[in-house]
Amino acid sequence: MANVDLQAVRDEWVGKVYDTTEFPIDAQHLVDWAVACGETESRFTEPDDADFQAHPGYVSHFTAGRWTPKGFPELGNGRGVDGGKAVEIFGPIRPGDVLTASTEIADVYDKTGRSGTMIFVVNRMTFRNQHGDKVATVDWRQIRATDG
Amino acid sequence: MILDLHTHSVRSDDGRAKVDNYCQWIRKKELPLDGFVLTEHRQYDDTSDYRDLEDQYGLLILKASEVETDYGHVLVFGVNDDLVHAFDFARVDNPIGEVLDAARRCGAVAAPCHPGRVNVGLFAHYEAKGPVEGVDLVEIYNGGSRPGEDEFSEARAAEFGYKGFGGSDSHIVSRIGYCATEFEDPIGSMDDLMAALRGGRFEARTWRT
Repeated sequence: MANVDLQAVRDEWVGKVYDTTEFPIDAQHLVDWAVACGETESRFTEPDDADFQAHPGYVSHFTAGRWTPKGFPELGNGRGVDGGKAVEIFGPIRPGDVLTASTEIADVYDKTGRSGTMIFVVNRMTFRNQHGDKVATVDWRQIRATDG
Repeated sequence: MILDLHTHSVRSDDGRAKVDNYCQWIRKKELPLDGFVLTEHRQYDDTSDYRDLEDQYGLLILKASEVETDYGHVLVFGVNDDLVHAFDFARVDNPIGEVLDAARRCGAVAAPCHPGRVNVGLFAHYEAKGPVEGVDLVEIYNGGSRPGEDEFSEARAAEFGYKGFGGSDSHIVSRIGYCATEFEDPIGSMDDLMAALRGGRFEARTWRT
């Protein structure tokens, strides 16, 4: 098992927002992203489309100002890898929107695999538009190796 | 009747497969599966209801768990309220003896999976700590095994007299059915499955190339 009390880490850190950043949405960026993804649907690639909006994966490229909150404990042995992102969309993101992303630690847990015990730190960015509507969440998993 | 006894859906933290997509894939690819068991990591999913999918696709969909112990990962079939409270499913270091005892006491069936795998396989721990009592079944064919792992599992299972079963350990849709288990009797429920496992009326199957 990871040589750290993960329940104590969860109790102290999960749910605390540690970064808030604004992201203005530009039409050309939306088109560029969709085209780069190989998207062909006009609602993602044509600004003149009546339903033009961000491709579902668009928000995944935004990052918070910090990876972890100030004072967050060093977990694992220093080796880490990117565990990928999971995006959930709740509403359309349109050009001209200004998204506000609030970032929190959503979970900290461990698991075992071929390479031993690993600690997962899940950062969640919650995006709301200028009307206060939640439009997306992005969960990013950082994987920390341990010596266990 | 052929069931894949080891699959993960998006309910697992590393699962990328939706259950309805598993069903679509099985039918589209005409896989020889009659159903599958969802064995989510370190939890028991007591909320999802897949009966509509079972009816729509004519497949049996059962729910179990994959828990982690000091002797590697263990599949638990027949999880119930008593068992959920008998040990902490979320822990990664449950003593295997406690898991096996709890399963037996609560009417479930516990069986180590991918036993030939380093760090998380039963037989890797046997090398260091010796065998444990109470193991009857192990997964000898696992769809995520590296070359040599299943052969090692099969040989060691035979040595210890453990009956072997198969499961794909799929985390994405296209991996379901790589390995499975063929039963002599019809299986229509978790009780049927546990009875067949206890009775040894099955054979492990693999379609890995």
